[in-house]
Amino acid sequence: MGFTHKAVMPTMTPSTEDARIYEVAVLYPYPLNQKDESKLLKDVEGILADAGGMQVAKDLWGRRGLAYKVKGFSEGSFAIYHYELDPLKLSEVDEALRILPGMLRHMIVKPPKNYAVVKYSETYVEWQKERESVEDLRTKEREEKIQKQVADKAKRQAKRATTDKKPVEAAPSAPAAPGAIEAELDKIIGSDSLDL
Amino acid sequence: MAHSNAHPAAKTARRQDPRSKTCAFCDKQVAYVDYKDYPTLKPFIDYFGNIRSKYYTGNCLKHQKMLRTAVERARFMAMLAYRK
Repeated sequence: MGFTHKAVMPTMTPSTEDARIYEVAVLYPYPLNQKDESKLLKDVEGILADAGGMQVAKDLWGRRGLAYKVKGFSEGSFAIYHYELDPLKLSEVDEALRILPGMLRHMIVKPPKNYAVVKYSETYVEWQKERESVEDLRTKEREEKIQKQVADKAKRQAKRATTDKKPVEAAPSAPAAPGAIEAELDKIIGSDSLDL
Repeated sequence: MAHSNAHPAAKTARRQDPRSKTCAFCDKQVAYVDYKDYPTLKPFIDYFGNIRSKYYTGNCLKHQKMLRTAVERARFMAMLAYRK
């Protein structure tokens, strides 16, 4: 997914030799009412159409979180257009898009020859679903691991409790008869065989 | 060296053979890395938003350059962070 394969790429060649296919990416703020949004997109398309462009593909991504704040907006919407344009008109289009009000960013990229248009709005949704399932699996694994750890600890504690009890019972039996030791000592000291 | 004296085990631990790493893009016969494709770019970006060096990822120079342009474009369009 996402890679442009050498073998798989279908041809997307311009109709005439003078024209080229360009990719125009537009970023506009997300909390934007329907009217302004449609007007903005119409303006962008109008600029491209004025320059004699021919639309090849259009992809509206919709709401996306931004990696950093742009003009105070932390959320934005993307629109990706593929247009067949005259290369000489490119600077004109670029300038017109730059001064268009209500837009955050725009970028015109020349895709490589035989570039296959991928609808990233769809692949992104797929990827998100995939990631969710992976994350679910991971949290499940983690929970299982923790449960196992807890069970092991309980087992170990139970084992320790049983092993600890035995020495406690055995300990007082050892020094049970203090008198016996003294008697023994007296016996050794008092014996004639002791040679000092 | 003081470090190796402190850890005698470090002497035996060997660095990974650089030849064992292969370019992830070459394996899939990639002709172009797209800046719009976040899932593809993500593994080559570290926590701070820097591009991982090809020394660590094993990418070939051709694809590393493609990746760099893609990441720079994505950064400009606020799809990726310049710095986290």
